[in-house]
Amino acid sequence: MSRLQTCFDNLRTQKRTALIPFITAGDPTPALTVPLMHALVDAGADVIELGIPFSDPMADGPVIQRASERALAAGTGLRDVLDMVKTFREQNQTTPVVLMGYLNPIEIMGYKTFVKTAKSVEVDGVLTVDLPPEELADFGELLRSHAIAPIFLLAPTTTPERIKLICDQTSGYLYYVSLKGVTGSANLDVTAVADKLAEIRQYTDLPIGVGFGIKDAESAASVAKISDAVIVGSALVRLVETEPQQKLLEAIPGLVRELRQAMDA
Amino acid sequence: MFEMNKNQRVSRTRVKICGMTRPQDAVLAAKLGADAIGLVFYEKSPRAVTVEQAQAITQALPAFVTVVGLFVNAEPTLVHNILAQVPLDMLQFHGEEPPDYCLCFDKPYIKALRMRPNVDVQAFAKHYEHAKALLLDSYVKGIKGGTGVVFNWQKIPSHLGKSLIVAGGLTPDNVNQAITTLHPYAVDVSGGVESAKGIKNADKMTAFMREVSMSIAQLFTITDSHNLPDENGHFGPYGGIFVPETLMQPLEELRQAYEHYRNDSAFLAEFHDDLHHFVGRPSPLYHAARWSQQLGGAQIYLKREDLNHTGAHKINNTVGQALLAKRMGKTRVIAETGAGQHGVATATVAARFGMECVVYMGAKDIKRQAINVYRMRLLGAEVRAVNSGSKTLKDALNEAMRDWVTHVDNTFYIIGTVAGPHPYPAMVRDFQAVIGRETRQQIKTQTGRSPDILIACVGGGSNAIGLFSPFLDDKNVAMYGVEAAGEGLETGRHAAPLNCGKPGVLHGNRTYLMTDENGQILETHSISAGLDYPGVGPEHACLKDVGRVEYVAVTDSEALDAFHDLTRIEGIIPALESSHAVAYCKKIAEGRKDKIIVINLSGRGDKDIHTVATHEGISI
Repeated sequence: MSRLQTCFDNLRTQKRTALIPFITAGDPTPALTVPLMHALVDAGADVIELGIPFSDPMADGPVIQRASERALAAGTGLRDVLDMVKTFREQNQTTPVVLMGYLNPIEIMGYKTFVKTAKSVEVDGVLTVDLPPEELADFGELLRSHAIAPIFLLAPTTTPERIKLICDQTSGYLYYVSLKGVTGSANLDVTAVADKLAEIRQYTDLPIGVGFGIKDAESAASVAKISDAVIVGSALVRLVETEPQQKLLEAIPGLVRELRQAMDA
Repeated sequence: MFEMNKNQRVSRTRVKICGMTRPQDAVLAAKLGADAIGLVFYEKSPRAVTVEQAQAITQALPAFVTVVGLFVNAEPTLVHNILAQVPLDMLQFHGEEPPDYCLCFDKPYIKALRMRPNVDVQAFAKHYEHAKALLLDSYVKGIKGGTGVVFNWQKIPSHLGKSLIVAGGLTPDNVNQAITTLHPYAVDVSGGVESAKGIKNADKMTAFMREVSMSIAQLFTITDSHNLPDENGHFGPYGGIFVPETLMQPLEELRQAYEHYRNDSAFLAEFHDDLHHFVGRPSPLYHAARWSQQLGGAQIYLKREDLNHTGAHKINNTVGQALLAKRMGKTRVIAETGAGQHGVATATVAARFGMECVVYMGAKDIKRQAINVYRMRLLGAEVRAVNSGSKTLKDALNEAMRDWVTHVDNTFYIIGTVAGPHPYPAMVRDFQAVIGRETRQQIKTQTGRSPDILIACVGGGSNAIGLFSPFLDDKNVAMYGVEAAGEGLETGRHAAPLNCGKPGVLHGNRTYLMTDENGQILETHSISAGLDYPGVGPEHACLKDVGRVEYVAVTDSEALDAFHDLTRIEGIIPALESSHAVAYCKKIAEGRKDKIIVINLSGRGDKDIHTVATHEGISI
């Protein structure tokens, strides 16, 4: 059984909602990423989404854009990101790691090289923001045959036909984008999200994570009640800009812990 | 008064064949689909008919063909006399007949106006308010009617408030252009379909009628024979839809709307009407004779997109997309812009249609294109500076995408080039293809043949596709797309993805990109903001791979030299973007004496004079 499946099965048995923090690999420096991943796990993260920095992150708001810029300025490329997962795995064999990013770095590396390397360092899932299932070509099959979960986004604008298509192509979990907007946007409407999740659940038994717009304990707790996973990114990444670098290993896991407590309360 | 709205616009140009002298000619004209024939009752005309001839012709004619009697300053008794003996449906007056005179026969009439210099067509139309139509004919001193000379079509004012019949020198070769240029109610031909005066030629009449129906088809079709992209928006391996999930449904709605309206005659008629009256199309095709002579080789023609409203080809596309946005019920438009030309063109149509408009522009571009920024603000648009990334066009595009994701319900994203997710590359191409369609006709009219070489600059590539697209099937036409080599391809400081890049995915489509080995998009460099983009339209990527178009590059300094050349030799200040095409022409014109080259002069250079001056150490 895959790490992702084991993870969500366990959570389901425990009747807990997964907490999935997102950080951009290499932000603010590559050296911080692996220690931060371990600290996130210690703080209650169930899955880690690791952002592949990209020069033109068109689906991201300013906070994650700047994280990408910092990571790139520090010289973080896709190969470095894969190396970080490898290092992380030396100490952690259980927490699933999902790479999240844009297609171009993967395309330039080559699908085969990327998938083989990702498999060897034990990446569990790949979410490519600007790659809808329609354009998957052989990439989806490559991922599946290497036991890496292709994860796709669902949005408020997704039609029933495409919900079906996306569910068919996804394994691991589905990522529901809670609002029309970019990452780190304003408040989400929990009722509207609940309605859409009910619609999506007609087509799938896959766990559904909700992201975009979860920024504090309160919103995490309310989303936890209706979803299988709470995904939080910008709220964590913002701390990189407000906290001194030497405090990040405490500040970021600190917020994760706070969210975890609110969700479990 | 009853006025047709745009949805009811007439879509068929009627044809009158004048100067009939033989029944068999009139019968053939009717058979070929002519709506009217003309009989000349003016003794001095070589095509004058007698009452007996006229009777023979009218008797031979089938139903539903209007018979028009033509008179020149005739005594009223003559007209009454003819009317008593020949069943005329309508009268046509070619002399100095006053309105009262024209009305006194109780027959509907057409008044001819000879287009002498300084004639006031508008006043004339008002003066003959009861005329069913105005027939505009060439003015040649001493000759009334049948001059065989084409008058200056540009002199016809728009919105005449009267049906317009174009006459004077029409032939099978130029009628197509007359129709697509002027959109007249009817065309009137006589000498152009004759083998001798008064003797109509069957082949010429057939050719004439075929050209009329073809030009009508052209007027109402914006698709071309080129059959890409496929239904998923792929041009071979390029193009497609690579966007975040939130945009998939809005793009599907856009695709459906575009598929519907690209075949909707009312939409197309309104589009063409706007291109004519608002944009000022057709843009001239200008023979750069002095420059051609100076280069000592090919004859060079400039497609003057710089003369469009707002000074570049960009407006062709923004008019089309704004009309689509209006039909889709969107109240807000957004755009990205590099040089500011697309931003200005978008702000312009937004002002015209009363839409809210936000334009994203890289902070670096805002600095180098201050005049266009101010123009957009004057037009009521909000210009938002983009400070992320390289602060140029690509970052403006990212920001516009983010805006669109956030405001999909009421917002239409007007992309300015043939890039982005499907259906943008195809849609923008179709809206810009008017450039190439006009060029085809104009070069034929002016030189009697097709061009040998087409040259256009390529940033995203919309002006190039616009010119190339209607010629793609014409294998004898060579095409060059000119990228910005910046400080030199070897320096890495350029914007030439087709020359130096590799395929990747950016901004919704797969295409050639300037990207590093990690897949990060590289910062580009060009003196011309409009070419300063790391990607290129996917159709260009495809045309490069199949070898149909050759993609070359010229440096900043070569473009600057060409900028000065054209300005000094032809009195035309080209945009720095277009100067790249001009520069490449300089390289290949020599020694090609029998060749015809058409350059797409995509924009005017007024916006660039500060850049040029600064570059040359001059402060204005």
